[in-house]
Amino acid sequence: MPDYKEIFVKTDICTGCNTCKLACAVEHSKTKNLFEAMFETPKPKSRLYVEWVPENTRIPVLCRHCEDAPCINACISGAITRSDQGTVVTDTDKCIGCWTCVMVCPYGVIGRDKALHKAYRCDRCPDLEVPACVASCPTKALVYESVDTFSADRRKAVSKELVTGKGV
Amino acid sequence: MGNHYVIVGGSAAGMAAAHTLRKKDKAGIITVLSDEKSPPYFRPMIPYIINGKKKASHITLSGNGMFTEQGIDVRTDTAVSALDTAPKTVTTKSGEAIPYDRLLFATGSRPYMPETIKGLDTKGVFSLKTLADAMAMARRLQDTNHVVMLGGGILNLKAAFAMLEKGIRVTLVVYSPEVLSQLMEPEDAFLIRKALDNAGLEIMTRCSATDVVTDAGGVCAVALSNGKELPCQMVCVGKGVIPNTDFIQKSNIKINKGILVDKHTACNVKDTFAAGDVAVTHDPVTGEKVTTALWTNAVEMGICAGLNMAGIKTRYTGTFGIMNATQVAAEPFVSMGVVHTRNKDVEVYIEKSGHTFRKIVFNKKGTRLIGAVFIGDITNAGMYRYVIREKKPIDRFKSHLISHTLHYGHFM
Ligand SMILES: Cc1cc2nc3c(=O)[nH]c(=O)nc-3n(C[C@H](O)[C@H](O)[C@H](O)COP(=O)(O)OP(=O)(O)OC[C@H]3O[C@@H](n4cnc5c(N)ncnc54)[C@H](O)[C@@H]3O)c2cc1C
Repeated sequence: MPDYKEIFVKTDICTGCNTCKLACAVEHSKTKNLFEAMFETPKPKSRLYVEWVPENTRIPVLCRHCEDAPCINACISGAITRSDQGTVVTDTDKCIGCWTCVMVCPYGVIGRDKALHKAYRCDRCPDLEVPACVASCPTKALVYESVDTFSADRRKAVSKELVTGKGV
Repeated sequence: MGNHYVIVGGSAAGMAAAHTLRKKDKAGIITVLSDEKSPPYFRPMIPYIINGKKKASHITLSGNGMFTEQGIDVRTDTAVSALDTAPKTVTTKSGEAIPYDRLLFATGSRPYMPETIKGLDTKGVFSLKTLADAMAMARRLQDTNHVVMLGGGILNLKAAFAMLEKGIRVTLVVYSPEVLSQLMEPEDAFLIRKALDNAGLEIMTRCSATDVVTDAGGVCAVALSNGKELPCQMVCVGKGVIPNTDFIQKSNIKINKGILVDKHTACNVKDTFAAGDVAVTHDPVTGEKVTTALWTNAVEMGICAGLNMAGIKTRYTGTFGIMNATQVAAEPFVSMGVVHTRNKDVEVYIEKSGHTFRKIVFNKKGTRLIGAVFIGDITNAGMYRYVIREKKPIDRFKSHLISHTLHYGHFM
């Protein structure tokens, strides 16, 4: 397993402040500047979603770049591939907006850009040292960590967390 | 020497198996035999060949998606015409006998051509299945101003849109009371029907073709069951597909419409496997045996077959008979699981507005999600699929399923 970095969520620390969402939208805007980004059309979109879990928990959800990604297998246009950085990437030139990926993603983290008629998702900010959401998180609930041999266990814990809701 | 894996059919299922085998068995020899002239391609993309939005080189499988392995010998223009399971060989149409250690049937399906319509072998009559079909349609379109499409399924709708976009007049003749009758109840399709009407597609329902009328240039009209005749220069038949089992029929491989496989994608004869449109799989929701015409299923089942052929015992989890996502005109939609509910003892919730339609289907007791249709807003459809497929207990979030406010947090 190559040494990719991944975005992890410490569910017990997140306060649901939505700063990450804002940072994500700005990073994926044309101007990459908060004040100008607000006036762009189409409006810049966040690729992560902060969801509410009963009773008082909020958690950011974003593309897990699954090891066995159903979207890669399902894509009927060959637009979705695994990058050298380990991320699952949609090639917007190839994407035809058939939404098959939306239909098979169990996390509900693939968005539909209605203006462009293309699917979009977290790209882990390939141009940044640390993804914008992680860098912006005021409580450090989002972490960007390398998956080394040690964290093979942690990866398991994370996928378990996603299924059972227990924290890492 | 390693195993010789022979795969008949080089499309979704066959190539998914081939790439999986290559990943798992570096030493084995993988030979894919395909009767098509072109190297493997993304079949669902061929409507874009008809209207010229894509070229053949844009839609090749190799190097894209999960099809990134090297060292797979794909022999195009090589049809298999005979099978002998002892000794283990397949024979090509040109008479070459190819021995195998493990064999995969990934021969897919072909369009069903109803015998009730006379003259379907006329020039200008098509059924969209292969890249070659799409290219031939594109050529014929140059001298066509009206196309009549027989059948209101998703395939014909996709082809119809490709042609509408070129400014060609298209009439869809549908035997059912509404389009997409395989994927939803007629009354559930009203938003799609509206979108199709707005896009300029002419639709005639409860009507069928009886004859293709010809002149020197091929088709010149279609005669209908209602006595009308539609002048046209092209006809496209989209009446469903049937599994390709011709050369397997005479063998000892068990067939019932499609090829029967066990839970590990294996046929009844040792060292033979089947996957994709040609295979009979099961629907995890209804438990029924089904053949499908789904790219998604063909790839997943092909991967599973590849693993089993490589000796890694893997169970196939089956697929919903219905599992379609697409966008027709401006309307995205998803249809999956049990969606035909008339006269069925199930619990159904429907929510409609001018722009969206949503139908959520639970089992009789209301304890399990078994189907869903979304039109207009398909947000989080994948989570619904997950709940259906995994048969998840829903008591904690049933109201969110119904109101379409489900999100990942509800699973935690
Ligand atoms: C226009 C179009 C749009 C579609 N859109 C979608 C979509 O949006 N979503 C979706 O899920 N599905 C879609 N489908 C369906 C999907 O393409 C099929 O379900 C899928 O291709 C099945 O894959 P397969 O490998 O099982 O078989 P096939 O793709 O049918 O391939 C089988 C191959 O085997 C070859 N073959 C057959 N017999 C022999 C022989 N004796 N010797 C050698 N070769 C042989 C055939 O020529 C063919 O190349 C679409 C299909 C079409 C035609």
